[in-house]
Amino acid sequence: MAGKRKKNTRPAGGKRTRPTAPKAAPAPPPKRGMSTNLKMTIGLVVAALVAIGVTVYISKSGESTAAATGANDERLVRPDSRKLSTAADGKATLVEFLDFECEACGALYPQTEQLRAEYGDRITFVVRYFPLPGHANGEPAARAVEAAAAQGKFEEMYQKMFETQSSWGEQQTSQDQVFLGFAEELGLDTAAFQAAFADPATAARVQKDQDDGISLGVDRTPTVYFNGEPVDGPSYDTLKDLIDKALAS
Amino acid sequence: MRRALPWVLTVGGALGLVAAFVLTVEKIALLKDPGYTPSCSINPILSCGSVMKTEQAEVFGFPNPLMGVAGFAVVLTVGVVLLAGARPPRWFMLGLQVGATFGVVFVHWLIFQSLYRIGALCPYCMVVWTVTIPVFWYTTLHNLTTGVVPVPRSWRRAVEGAARFHSLVLVAWYLVIVTLVGVEFWDYWRTLL
Repeated sequence: MAGKRKKNTRPAGGKRTRPTAPKAAPAPPPKRGMSTNLKMTIGLVVAALVAIGVTVYISKSGESTAAATGANDERLVRPDSRKLSTAADGKATLVEFLDFECEACGALYPQTEQLRAEYGDRITFVVRYFPLPGHANGEPAARAVEAAAAQGKFEEMYQKMFETQSSWGEQQTSQDQVFLGFAEELGLDTAAFQAAFADPATAARVQKDQDDGISLGVDRTPTVYFNGEPVDGPSYDTLKDLIDKALAS
Repeated sequence: MRRALPWVLTVGGALGLVAAFVLTVEKIALLKDPGYTPSCSINPILSCGSVMKTEQAEVFGFPNPLMGVAGFAVVLTVGVVLLAGARPPRWFMLGLQVGATFGVVFVHWLIFQSLYRIGALCPYCMVVWTVTIPVFWYTTLHNLTTGVVPVPRSWRRAVEGAARFHSLVLVAWYLVIVTLVGVEFWDYWRTLL
């Protein structure tokens, strides 16, 4: 064995067969590197990530079609705009354009409720109707809230809509009966409620809010303005920050 | 690709089992107390509670996750058995194929319901979606390439191609669903940006 090996090694180091390099070359390791499948899979994942990145970038750059405006811009708060609370000093005014059927508004709702619980009448909280065309019952919901407001139950109906959103939202069928049921639960005069609900003036009132929003550049819900400035990514934390600063000034 | 199946079944079965088990436990908690908020109900979009209360959540008259608990336990066991080196007979693999096919069809029906009828996403359910697809895909590829399921001659090249690009197909499949979820709940995702 040992002798045999010696014999074999000798020529390699000797004069006759010089090339040692070819010896390593003919024995490529069995691994062929990355398979085409793996390469293409990684390629597809990368392409998808790029696509997501571009989408996020585009939607971010288009974030503020809702432009900053003066805090006293009358399109933000009309004399007849619905308010959940009114601050005497007027230091902090929050205006939310919302759609009762929009999930993101539903997600923001508990956070604004918490803010309301904490700040109460130290902030003015204005609600503007902005039903989105994609939601079949968003506009009727706004009319139902407006009809309840006519009987002094604006806040109650506003809360009812968001708290029950998952039960009536995202449906293509009319939920008018559900809204009527809410009116009964709140102890409203149902005949008056129904009349107001169907009244073209109520629809016009909702439309007026929406027109103000469109004129301000609102293109999504919830869009929240704080003292005339649109809030980027409204949430409990971002709003609390703004409110604290405004109240401290 | 051939070595993938035992692992896909083991890992997929384990994850699916955990998800189905948690859903079952949450369902029981919800039955005990209708006001209970499941651990995965984060907001109106990401919510098990609203999804679990729908009729789609008990299509066959009992809660869906019961099927998951039984089914994924089998998948996990088959995966471990294959890892142990067993070479099951044809009828065994056909049985797995039937189960995996039922699972994948059911899951896609649930995806459709979740996106377009219920309008909410339940995180644990999405774990089940995520594992059911590769379990079906790798079981099918295995069965097609090893002759468990006969393939007509004219289809052979397509099967070979699919087997060669197994993970590419899987990722493409995922991306279609991710895109549908992204588009359907765009209004919500946008608020997170």
